[in-house]
Amino acid sequence: MPERVNTYMGGATAALDYDAELMLRVKEGDGESFAQLLDKHRTPVVHFLYRMVQQQAVAEELAQEVFLRVYRSRATYEPTAKFTTWLFRIATHLALNALRDGRNERSQERLDERTEGMPALQVEDRRPSVEQSMVRQARLDEVKHAVAALPGKQRAAVLMHKYKEMEYTQIAKVLNCSESAVKSLLFRAYETLRARLAHMA
Amino acid sequence: MKCPLETREERDLVAYASRALEGGDAERLEAHLESCSACREFVREQRAVWEALDGWEAEPISADFDRRLFGRIAAEISWWQRMRGRMGFPLVYRALLPVTAVACLVMVGVLLERPLPPRVPAAPVTTAHVESLQPDQVVHALDEMEVLDQFNHMMKPDSSTPRM
Repeated sequence: MPERVNTYMGGATAALDYDAELMLRVKEGDGESFAQLLDKHRTPVVHFLYRMVQQQAVAEELAQEVFLRVYRSRATYEPTAKFTTWLFRIATHLALNALRDGRNERSQERLDERTEGMPALQVEDRRPSVEQSMVRQARLDEVKHAVAALPGKQRAAVLMHKYKEMEYTQIAKVLNCSESAVKSLLFRAYETLRARLAHMA
Repeated sequence: MKCPLETREERDLVAYASRALEGGDAERLEAHLESCSACREFVREQRAVWEALDGWEAEPISADFDRRLFGRIAAEISWWQRMRGRMGFPLVYRALLPVTAVACLVMVGVLLERPLPPRVPAAPVTTAHVESLQPDQVVHALDEMEVLDQFNHMMKPDSSTPRM
C-alpha cells in the first residue's frame, strides 16, 4: 500500500508548514519537536531506504544517518523547500552512495540465496498452501530483482512515485533535476519493469 | 484526444493504470482506450507492474531505532561539549590569565629598567605617578581575569544529557 507523504494533496500545505515549523523549533533547541518529526517521518524514510538498498539493517543504518544529518543541520536550517523534499533528498543521496559503494551487495546475495533455497521459507509463511506461498515468494523476489536491476536514480524515482505518491515536480526537486528528466527516468524505469513484470498480470 | 503514446505523454496512462486519474481526464482517456490497442496494452502491463509492486511490503522497523538514534545524538552533543571545553572559549579565558600576568610583569620590568631623564624636575613626578598607578592596573586586570575564570566555570555544564 502507498505510504502517503504530505506533498500535493489537499491540506498538504498546512502539513508542510507544520513540518517546517517543527524544524524551526528544533533550531531553537526544542528536542520534543525533533522527536515529533522523527515519529512522523521515520517509517516513510526507512521503508523508502529499505526498497532502495533491499536490506533492512542497511536501510535502518542509513535512516539513522538521515535523521542525524537533519539534527546536525538544525542551526542552519531555512525552510526554503518542503521539509519532505529536503528529507528525501538526504535519504536519496545516502542511498545512492550506499548503492555505489556496494553496501547492499550482501542483500542481493541473500536475495539470490533465498531464490535458490526457497523451501526454507515455507516455515515462515503461514499460508495454508505451500504452493501458494512459494509462488508468492517467487513473485516477490522477482519484483525485488526487477527493482534492484534499475539504475539508482530510476529506482529512487519509481519508489518515490509509487510508494510515496510524490508529484513529478517534487521528485525533480529531490533528485535535483528537471521535471522532464523525471518523466524520462520514470518512463524508462516503468518500461523496464513492464518488460520484466507484465507477465504477472 | 491525441494518443498519449504518440505524444510521449505516458504520464496520463501511468496515472490511469494506478487509478490516480479522475474526472474528465479519466473519461477522455477511457474513450481513447476503446479505439487504441497500444494504449490498452500499455495500461494492462502498467497495471500489472503496479499490482506487483503493491505486493512488496516493507519490513517492520527495529523497536530500538529511536533509542539508538537519540544515543548517537547524545554522544555527539557530549563530544562537542567536551571539545569545546578543551579547545573553545574556556581555554582562551584560562590562557588569558598567565599571559596577561606575564605581560604586566614585563611591562613593569621595562618601566623600572628604563633610565630616568637626568635633572628634569618634572620627570620624578611623572615616574612616581606611573609607578603608583601600575599596581592598581595589575590588580584590576587580575580581578577581571578572576571573574572571567569564574564565568567559565559557571558556563561549563556538569552533564550533557539532552532533553530528548
